Amino acid sequence: MKITGYSITLYEFPLNRRMGDANSPSGRIRGSSNLLQLFTDEGITGVSFGGGGAGPQIKSMVEGILLSEDPRHVTGLWKRMVDRAFKAGHDGVVNDAIAVLDVALWDLKAKYNNEPLWRTLGGSNPRVHAYASGLDSPLSDDEIENWYGQMASEHGFTGGKLKVGLDQDADLRRIGRMKKGLERATDKPYLYIDANEVWSPKMAIRKVREMEERYDIAWVEEPARRWDFLGLRRISDAIKAPVCAGENLDTLGDFLPYFHNRSADVVQVSHGMTGITCALQLADAAYGFELPITLGGSPGNLNAQLAPCIPNFLTLEVQNPAPDDGVMTSDIEIVDGWAVCGEEPGTGVGFDPEMLARQKVESVTASAGPSPFGRRPGAGLWDNPPSPEEAAAAATGVNGVHYVPAHGSKAQ
Amino acid sequence: MKITGYKLEKFVQQLDRAIGDANYPAGDDLMDMAILSIETDEGVTGMAPAGNDEVAGLFHIIEGKDPRGVVGLWKGMVDWVHKGNNEGAVNGAIAAIDVALWDLKAKLNDEPLWQTLGAREGRARAYASDIGYNLSDDELHVFYSRMADMGVEGGKIKIGLNMKDDLRRIGIMNDAFRKAKDRPYLMIDTNEYWSPKQAIRYINQIEEHFDIFWAEEPARRWDFDGLRQVSRGISAAVASGENLNDVGQMYPLISQQAIDIANVGVGHSGITGARQVANMCYAYEIPVTMMNCSANYMAHLAAALPNHNMMEVVDPGREGAFESWDNHIEDGWIVMGNEPGLGIKVSENKINAMQAVDFGRKPGFPFPRREGAGLWIKDIEPGEVSWKN
Repeated sequence: MKITGYSITLYEFPLNRRMGDANSPSGRIRGSSNLLQLFTDEGITGVSFGGGGAGPQIKSMVEGILLSEDPRHVTGLWKRMVDRAFKAGHDGVVNDAIAVLDVALWDLKAKYNNEPLWRTLGGSNPRVHAYASGLDSPLSDDEIENWYGQMASEHGFTGGKLKVGLDQDADLRRIGRMKKGLERATDKPYLYIDANEVWSPKMAIRKVREMEERYDIAWVEEPARRWDFLGLRRISDAIKAPVCAGENLDTLGDFLPYFHNRSADVVQVSHGMTGITCALQLADAAYGFELPITLGGSPGNLNAQLAPCIPNFLTLEVQNPAPDDGVMTSDIEIVDGWAVCGEEPGTGVGFDPEMLARQKVESVTASAGPSPFGRRPGAGLWDNPPSPEEAAAAATGVNGVHYVPAHGSKAQ
Repeated sequence: MKITGYKLEKFVQQLDRAIGDANYPAGDDLMDMAILSIETDEGVTGMAPAGNDEVAGLFHIIEGKDPRGVVGLWKGMVDWVHKGNNEGAVNGAIAAIDVALWDLKAKLNDEPLWQTLGAREGRARAYASDIGYNLSDDELHVFYSRMADMGVEGGKIKIGLNMKDDLRRIGIMNDAFRKAKDRPYLMIDTNEYWSPKQAIRYINQIEEHFDIFWAEEPARRWDFDGLRQVSRGISAAVASGENLNDVGQMYPLISQQAIDIANVGVGHSGITGARQVANMCYAYEIPVTMMNCSANYMAHLAAALPNHNMMEVVDPGREGAFESWDNHIEDGWIVMGNEPGLGIKVSENKINAMQAVDFGRKPGFPFPRREGAGLWIKDIEPGEVSWKN
């Protein structure tokens, strides 16, 4: 089997709820993605999603390395791509390019074997523990309880992750509302919170300790900057909850300070970290250091395919129980709070060509792009709660105000 | 696709030559061997050139399961042995089952295992290893020269008991490899015979004469403080890890920066476990070197590891049970072919013939620890090896 070519197709879609975090409490109502197809001489096509901003890097990697290669040699091809990116490092858009190509190669390898990816990777049980993640900063208190309540009653989720960080009183209240919603499925839900690097270490310690007087928090995600292994470690030493971090790191090497200093108690892994190949290296390394793995949100929840072969796997982030972008299809289903990978060959995540044709765009509008808000002014320094304009925009819901720049930023 | 049964065949193999190290320089030419076969309802059989009686207590975990789920089944076995831990004979049995399952998985895909594991090319760099404290100067020269003729660029030699002998023998190795490389890779191995400070004194003296690439097991396997001390006290890299069983046991060696190169092998709980160790080392920028094994089958994994340096080749003749095996050494690399799975064809006739032989004694391998180890150095006694009277 040989790789003969590729295509990328950008598309946009409306979100099914207003989504945002501490950096963007007004939230957004549109998203975008990129479909990558990797073609072969056997008529099998590798499919993956992402790398929308990495068109030139994808082209360079395909033309310089992957053409005429056998996709079943994915681990070796991964090494070639990473070595090619040596000088500037395989992070940023280069990392996005390698990651999206690596996923397509694994998809091809599994499809060639006519088996789902979880089996190609050596998994024996396709049932994967999962939690619901609302990306819920723009939601009102009632909407939070309703959303998590629905995730609990309709899909069986026993854990949820709330975006926090800008308004301590609101956060204390909203954790309670998430808990109430999840109690429709269990009397002891897992309560995760996520600050998306908006705090300094000491801000994190003050705020989390106060939360822990009221709630048993199952982890605190990104309570300090991604590279601040000293700060993350200090937080972990000062609070009861595990510190969960890593989602914005790109490479295995980026995690060395975390491992060496035990900065994270739960390690976040995703195919976005230089692909499935690197994600599995990372999972093995974390296993050696006795650190549990959580898999991040992913298109069609495809990260679930990795979990069955990860011996120290904890739980999978689910932002939507089924694809909601109109284009993507997935045979990974949520059953009783578990993600269950199916028998469809490959990643199980595909696309609807008609819908793709309808939603495709030449270029993605900034407000539908991957991170339209940037880091929030004041992050790590002072309190910058949602402004009245941001709160008003958030209240307009999923059909409302399209975009409001972050409080303190100039309009884009 | 289901696992239906297994077969464990044990026999004693007569090697082509004796192997010996600092613990047992005289060495022995008999070795206890086993072949484990795992059978399926589709008629495909997986094999491992390994195994012991502990397989019987583990088989229920994989019976009736799909062998393609090898990593999940590995976890099932490791969890099953939780209390007594994944060590010793149990570890050997888990490793054998894991290898046979990987062989099965690759055979079901009708591809060589290196490809199942994602390698781009079925090859791994090789180095020559004598395991031959028993070998005479001439025999050493012949062995390393043969390897150099195949393009191998360096070797490892068993030392540790007599400085004068060791310097001469390292020189023989160095000379033999000069035809392949101007400055050959020279490795030394003492199999935990020294204390850390003995190692530092001894290796510093050797380094006045030779540029040593790595010193292997210069202190006890678990002594992460001592190994680290040795590494700081010599120029050569410290390599260790071959006698540890899994990532958990490797943890202190890695996190304390006690080793500069990790020995990985099937003894780390099989191919699954060895890959975990290699990936853990990759995160710490520690290269790995694959341990020797019969028919060099672990080269399949070595080929797929991003941080693999070179694999140990001993070639003392442990392949008596095989009809054929699909690799050879060329230009210094172990080059594998496209035979499915491990690429090893077992001969039942050969196994039966070996099982019929009574050698009248037990194999000397694995060697006991030599007197004086870690305390004083007990020199090779006159007549203990053929080359010293």
